[in-house]
Amino acid sequence: MMPELSFNIDHGYLEGLVRGFKCGILKQTDYLNLVQCETLEDLKLHLQSTDYGSFLANEPSPLSVSVIDDKMREKLVVEFQHLRNHCLEPLATFLDYITYSYMIDNIILLITGTLHQRPINELISKCHPLGSFEQMEAIHIASTPAELYNAVLVDTPLAPYFIDCISEQDLDEMNIEIIRNTLYKAYLEDFFNFCKNLGGATAEVMCEALAFEADRRAFIITINSFGTELSKEDREKLYPCCGNLYPDGLSKLAQAEDYDQVRQVAEYYASYKELFEGAGTNPGDKTLEDKFFEHEVKLMKHSFMHQFQFGVFYSYVKLKEQECRNIIWIGECVAQRHRAKIDSYIPIF
Amino acid sequence: MGSLFRSEKMTLCQLFLQSEASYAVVSELGELGIFQFKDLNMKVNAFQKKFVSEVRRCEEMERKLRYIEKEIKKEHLKIPDYGENPKAPAPKEMVDLEATFEKIESELREVNTNAEALKRNFLELTELREVLRKTQTFFTAQGQEMSNIVGEAQHALVHDEGTTSGQAVQLGFIAGVIPREKVPPFERMLWFACRGNVFLRYEEIQQSLEDPQTGEPKIKAVFMIFFQGEQLKARVKKICEGFKAALYPCPESSQERQEMFRGVTTRLEDLKTVLNQTEDHRRRVLVGAQKEIRSWIIKVEKIKAIYHTLNMFSFDISHNSLIAEGWCPIQSLEDVRRVLKDGEKLSGSTIPSILHPMKTHETPPTFFKTSRFTQGFQNIVNAYGIATYEEVNPAPYAIITFPFLFSVMFGDAGHGTLMFLFGLWMVLKEKSLLAAKSNNEIWNTFFGGRYIIMLMGLFSIYTGMIYNDAFSKSFNIFGSAWKSNYTEGDMMGDGETATLVFDPAKYYRDSTPYPFGIDPIWQSAKNKITFLNSFKMKMAVILGISQMLFGVCLSVFNHLHFKIVIAIFCEFLPELIFLLALFGYLIFMVYYKWLVFDVTQSGCAPALLIQYINMFMFKYDPPKSDCDVQATFYPNQQTIQTVFVIAAVASVPVLLLVKPFYLRSVHNKKVLAKNALGALSTDALIPNEHTSEQSTSKNVTHVETPSVSGEGSSDIEMGTQPPPAPEKDTNENGKSQSKQNGGDDMKDINLSVNNIEDTSAMVLAHDDDEEEFEFSEIFIEQAIHTIEFCLGCISHTASYLRLWALSLAHAQLSEVLWNMVLHIGLSMDLPYIGSLIIFAVWMAWANLTIAVLLVMEGLSAFLHTLRLHWVEFQSKFYRGEGYIFLPFSFKHILDIDSLDELK
Repeated sequence: MMPELSFNIDHGYLEGLVRGFKCGILKQTDYLNLVQCETLEDLKLHLQSTDYGSFLANEPSPLSVSVIDDKMREKLVVEFQHLRNHCLEPLATFLDYITYSYMIDNIILLITGTLHQRPINELISKCHPLGSFEQMEAIHIASTPAELYNAVLVDTPLAPYFIDCISEQDLDEMNIEIIRNTLYKAYLEDFFNFCKNLGGATAEVMCEALAFEADRRAFIITINSFGTELSKEDREKLYPCCGNLYPDGLSKLAQAEDYDQVRQVAEYYASYKELFEGAGTNPGDKTLEDKFFEHEVKLMKHSFMHQFQFGVFYSYVKLKEQECRNIIWIGECVAQRHRAKIDSYIPIF
Repeated sequence: MGSLFRSEKMTLCQLFLQSEASYAVVSELGELGIFQFKDLNMKVNAFQKKFVSEVRRCEEMERKLRYIEKEIKKEHLKIPDYGENPKAPAPKEMVDLEATFEKIESELREVNTNAEALKRNFLELTELREVLRKTQTFFTAQGQEMSNIVGEAQHALVHDEGTTSGQAVQLGFIAGVIPREKVPPFERMLWFACRGNVFLRYEEIQQSLEDPQTGEPKIKAVFMIFFQGEQLKARVKKICEGFKAALYPCPESSQERQEMFRGVTTRLEDLKTVLNQTEDHRRRVLVGAQKEIRSWIIKVEKIKAIYHTLNMFSFDISHNSLIAEGWCPIQSLEDVRRVLKDGEKLSGSTIPSILHPMKTHETPPTFFKTSRFTQGFQNIVNAYGIATYEEVNPAPYAIITFPFLFSVMFGDAGHGTLMFLFGLWMVLKEKSLLAAKSNNEIWNTFFGGRYIIMLMGLFSIYTGMIYNDAFSKSFNIFGSAWKSNYTEGDMMGDGETATLVFDPAKYYRDSTPYPFGIDPIWQSAKNKITFLNSFKMKMAVILGISQMLFGVCLSVFNHLHFKIVIAIFCEFLPELIFLLALFGYLIFMVYYKWLVFDVTQSGCAPALLIQYINMFMFKYDPPKSDCDVQATFYPNQQTIQTVFVIAAVASVPVLLLVKPFYLRSVHNKKVLAKNALGALSTDALIPNEHTSEQSTSKNVTHVETPSVSGEGSSDIEMGTQPPPAPEKDTNENGKSQSKQNGGDDMKDINLSVNNIEDTSAMVLAHDDDEEEFEFSEIFIEQAIHTIEFCLGCISHTASYLRLWALSLAHAQLSEVLWNMVLHIGLSMDLPYIGSLIIFAVWMAWANLTIAVLLVMEGLSAFLHTLRLHWVEFQSKFYRGEGYIFLPFSFKHILDIDSLDELK
């Protein structure tokens, strides 16, 4: 049967809801207004006239950027939880998959924190609420990856991703990064396959988005690995194998030794070539990271063009995240009176 | 009078306010609610407006008030509503208010942090006491000595492996408290992390503990963990920390535990008294705030509204004044002037604030002064569309026609009485019900229409009496004018065969008819429906056509008012002819048949339907027999009918063609005239026209304010020089003191009063000229109007038949309900027990009557009435393209219950 026929029975309401949420994403005109703000109070006043409403009304002044960040995040989480609480399978699993990436980030944050002897409470408050889970707070008892797996993660949905990391001996910074990337690789591949099995428009949209995510990770891992003790073989193991680069591009990337070689690999792929060409390190140029973000925003916006698919949920979360980054960027620029670079946010609509 | 018939006259005004006076003026205007400000700073960012810092201060105050309010509510104190309406405090007092709120808020926060610390302390002590109690009972149950436990635990943990007994293993334990819902994952985690080498026991605490921060009750459990060795202890402690379990020191020996228990209990007692004192203090602070918080909220909201309004003004730096623009009813201009003066006095500024009415081509907002009674009817009309400025408002007519058409469909005196009483109750209890401020949407809808419901009930009683119908029963007050057709044989038989079919020729008593309403005997007649159908159907058509005719007549008042003479002759008259010739004639035939043909001729009475069809087909056959229902039935019928049909058909092209072509010719003439004057003089022409317009407009303002200019006060007159721009004349520059030429002005007034009429017509003509003339558009519009009207007359007449259908359905439903429910109960032949059954049956009948006949039927009849008014009636004259006058007013602020609603 055509899934489009019955899609609305189960997911129509939530899709409508998320499309409605999407309309609340700040527009270019809003950003133009925000950029003109003199103080954070101005920022608050303008945000009040947008979809954020009076989300800062109960905050005593003076306002700080972190408060704005928390409140924006809180709003996103409330919206996401509402979606999650009202959804049916397979959307429920899909939404859970979205949270896994936040869980991975939280785990890595906690491990790194404990490695540096930070008190657990301070760390917990920094975790993203979308990725919080019960056992999270006990992470600091683990001193080796095996322990981490056996004691903490075995019950979480991340357990299957973690099996590959158990062999690591010690928890030092290098290994933590490796764990993060291995987890991400396993997660992305799993999510990719899940979306592929869902089929239909969801697979179409999500596979494109996840493939880009995988490729971005591969590029970033490669670029960041230069000058570290990570061997080429180890590096290759960290590449997620669900992107457009797989398999040829990845094997070439594995051989790359400097930025120019990475660039050459990207030359073979039209969309990435463009990104690398636009990026630069000179002042006034956009960084490669920003370029990637821009491309991501473009992809996410496109996903709203398709109907009867789950990609809109993923896109909404990603776009909202980008919006938070934008507002925080502008907020920081305003707060620090450093307006030269205030325009380097990434407009969404 | 007339305020409901047409919109109030509105005028666009400019206010020049001194900065100091502006606050007081806006505040006073807010109290009066007579001025709608226009936003002159639409394009300015929210944070770049002039009074943004004041708005921000208000928001800060709101935040504090919200906090105080929340605390008051937490304490379950009610916020009293004395119906007070404090005026917005002067800007200077804002500082005092801020200080007060600041004081209360900081005091509350301090008390709260103290209370929270105390409560946390209290919680910890309670938990400790529970831990001690539980461990004590646990150890007692397991034997006095620790060693027993150790042995047993060892037994459990080591699985008999350590048969080398006597080897006392050092078993330690820690005890603590954890929220109950966290116990299972906690247990699992302990198991995983310590590889099964610990032993956990937990027990729920029976009493629920209060969370010091949120004040919510929480159920927690006491746990004890037994383990071996220091390393495990560290690990267990880490896990406890991770799960936010509170650990408490628990001595190993029973005696120490008991001592500690006693100590904790006494400390708890002390803490309790301290806690109570803090609570008392907190309560005192809150009770102090409780009385005033409502007036504070109102004050702050008013200040905020004022500054928001001030933000809409444009600021003139050179004169240090604010310029506001907005709409105001001309009647209230005096009030506005008075307010301006008061504002001047209050602020003590020497430079006067100025009110300057402006002329504009913008359509003013529509404003009807309504009362509690008329508001409901106006709402019904507004729901369809706000009246175009100064067009005829259907609301005053709806006051009568709406309940009447409803009652035609709902005609039942019994149901009407119930509805009337309900409406009456709401009307009488109005004040207390209003004060109750219900949030129930359905109730508010009913309550908003209380006067409508009451009138609908009243009218239903009337039509119910005409139909002689109350709960489907009739009253026989005057004695029936019929005699029964029962024969002796019918009575002796089983009664079922007896048919009460009334043939007037046989059973009518030839006396006077039943004086009021339907003869009650019809209630029991078999041919009741046939009789009533004929009556109700004809009545529906008559009522409908009358209402449509009335609507068409109302359109004349629009044409007259807007001075569209052509529309009277080319729109109203053809419409009237069309409607009267075709449908007016139908009514005539109905009455003619009623009046002329009596029972003896009933067989030969004309068949109206066929007659009517024949009229259109011009088919006039000679009568086939003496008794031909198709034959003409009055002299000259053929001539009259032919004339009517031709007149109706002829009026259609008049309606369609004349107006657009007339307008085109007028336009062409104007263009020709302009061209004839030549290019050079056209430029001069427009200002010339304007000068005359301008001078009269100046005079108009003078006429309205003779007292002001006559007194020769420090009033500044506007508009002595004509502005060059042909649009809005915002001529601030041409100011001159009226003191000097006040006398001249008075003469001008006398001269110009007479020719205001002509000039306003000129202004209108001038207006038309400025609009682009698009012939095809006008023609299509007229064509649509024509088609709509002609087809509408037919379909709308048919539509009015719903009056008949619903009234029939209502009567039938109530009859069915009577026969199927209450009648069965009444016709039982049971001694004693019957009274109980009849009680139950009555309940069922009464409930069904309310639910089905009153509520459901009432709603459906209401909807149909609404439709008849909106579509059938208003389409004849009402355009409804206006927008409503929304004055800046504080009224809604008084309805705020809590600041949370505003979020």
